[in-house]
Amino acid sequence: MDIQLKKSGIGVKEKKSSHLLYSIKQNLFAYAMLIPAFVAMLCIHFIPMMQGIYISFLNLNMMTMTKFLGAPFIGLRNYYEVLFNPDSLIRTGFWYALRNTGIYTFIVTFSTFALGIILAMLVNREFRGRGIVRTALLMPWVVPSYVVGIVWGFLWRQDSGMINIILHDWLHILSEKPYWLLGRNQIWAIIIPTIWRGLPLSMILMLAGLQSISPDYYEAADIDGANGWQKFWNITLPLLKPILAINVMFSLVSNIYSYNIVAMMFGNGAGIPGDWGDLLMTNIQRNSFQLWQFGPGAAALMIVMFFVLGIVALWYAFFKDDLVVK
Amino acid sequence: MAKTGYFESMKRKKKMKNTLSNILLAIMVVLSLGPIVFMVMTSLMDHNAIATGKWIVPNRFSNYVEVFEKLPFGIYFRNSLIVCSCVMIVALVIATLAGYALARYKFPGSGFFGILILSTQMLPGMMFLLPLYLDFVKIKEATGIQLTNSIPGLVIIYSAFYVPFSIWIIRGFFASIPGELEEAARIDGCNKFSAFIKVMLPLAVPGIIATAIYIFLMAWDELLFAWVLLKDANVLTIPVGIRAFIAYTTARYDLLMAAGSVVTVPVLIMFFTMQKKFISGMTAGAVKG
Repeated sequence: MDIQLKKSGIGVKEKKSSHLLYSIKQNLFAYAMLIPAFVAMLCIHFIPMMQGIYISFLNLNMMTMTKFLGAPFIGLRNYYEVLFNPDSLIRTGFWYALRNTGIYTFIVTFSTFALGIILAMLVNREFRGRGIVRTALLMPWVVPSYVVGIVWGFLWRQDSGMINIILHDWLHILSEKPYWLLGRNQIWAIIIPTIWRGLPLSMILMLAGLQSISPDYYEAADIDGANGWQKFWNITLPLLKPILAINVMFSLVSNIYSYNIVAMMFGNGAGIPGDWGDLLMTNIQRNSFQLWQFGPGAAALMIVMFFVLGIVALWYAFFKDDLVVK
Repeated sequence: MAKTGYFESMKRKKKMKNTLSNILLAIMVVLSLGPIVFMVMTSLMDHNAIATGKWIVPNRFSNYVEVFEKLPFGIYFRNSLIVCSCVMIVALVIATLAGYALARYKFPGSGFFGILILSTQMLPGMMFLLPLYLDFVKIKEATGIQLTNSIPGLVIIYSAFYVPFSIWIIRGFFASIPGELEEAARIDGCNKFSAFIKVMLPLAVPGIIATAIYIFLMAWDELLFAWVLLKDANVLTIPVGIRAFIAYTTARYDLLMAAGSVVTVPVLIMFFTMQKKFISGMTAGAVKG
């Protein structure tokens, strides 16, 4: 009995492996088509990534740069330097950048999608000039993000910036002109332009989602006497959730790695430690390529990647039921 | 009687809601367009007037001439066009092949490859940039091939860098074409490759165009890699050129706004001629998930 079972087990295994070989042979064409993409990803994504992980354990800086991967191995010292060393400027900068990026990512992602849904619902009605309004609302998306950084950097200026002129001189909302590009306000100076540019995309996605909802649901709700809010919470939002799920994730990740707008707005002065205008990517870029501290830079990147991994896991737990497995 | 009163109040409520929505929409349109209009208007104003925040008639077209004289903006523009076009072609070819294979065939490892593609999207670009920069320096030392501070180096990195996301979009397009068409072509005597080229590829053209625009726009907007890899004025792309201009000279906002307007225009033309196709391409992938 026992032997028989074993035998049959082996038999199955053999059959499976030959089947595997067979289906590989059958699909040689598909593998050939994948080769260029695989080589590209191997050379530019995966090999550098492995090197990056290794560099995070090396004492690699301007002095040892010529040795590259032969630089002295120092174990977890870089991680200590970035996370805990109280005397290290890199540590202070990193923690502030982490705080800023957290606030920035949360507010930007949340507001972009909340406003995107509102805007999509406003645009989804019947009214004259709908095409023109939609096109006008798409315009910010077309502006390259580095241009967004320059233009808003100009708009935010204290004395002659347009925003202060409008808020103080014209509308009298503010009693004095605040410094947007200094201190605590910096974070708003980078959050608002990012939302401004991200809103059109989220509007389009939400609009596509809204239009895929059958009007029957709303008619049924009307018959049952549901009001606008109830319809929104019980029909619109649950049915938008699958689209929201995947795009919230992309938005979270891309905002954590946000670079262009901040770099352009604050130029090379971005991110003195303690600065509210410094994000993780500007911080790490400066440590790695201006201070030539590659080791701590790679360690910081590893830490950021673990954070992102954690966020992805959280996201997955939250939206698990809405993801359609294809 | 009471019933008509109820309906009338409902009607009034609905009308008020509609007006409120229109006002909100109008505010959003103004907020969306404001900064862009402001950029174009300031690009036509005198430098000194801008510095003091005064409003004057925007009529100085000489700023646009000065941009090309003060900055080597023509060179930046040329470099950006070369980089973006090359990247678009290379990445598109690679991604089309792979996207087709992934959409049309199910084979051992196809699921794994899909996960690989998604995982690259979760990683920071800096993670690749940092070792690649050092690799490029080493390659230069070993073979003399210049990859830092050169346009080919940037093209190689960008092309490979945009491949995963492009595969992801194109795969969706190929998946929406019925596979029976390919089988019919096979029966008519095409081999797998010629069935792909002659039958499937022409059907996917709208999707491929949408992806091409997407790649172009991403490359047009890339600052981080270019900022680290390029140093000499004759190889800089537009974003780096403008950033260098901000960093090393006193702020001339009139020129910056003119430059901003000039770089936004090609993107604008590209976008609005293809708006419908592009948006349907973007949202098709999104709705399918």
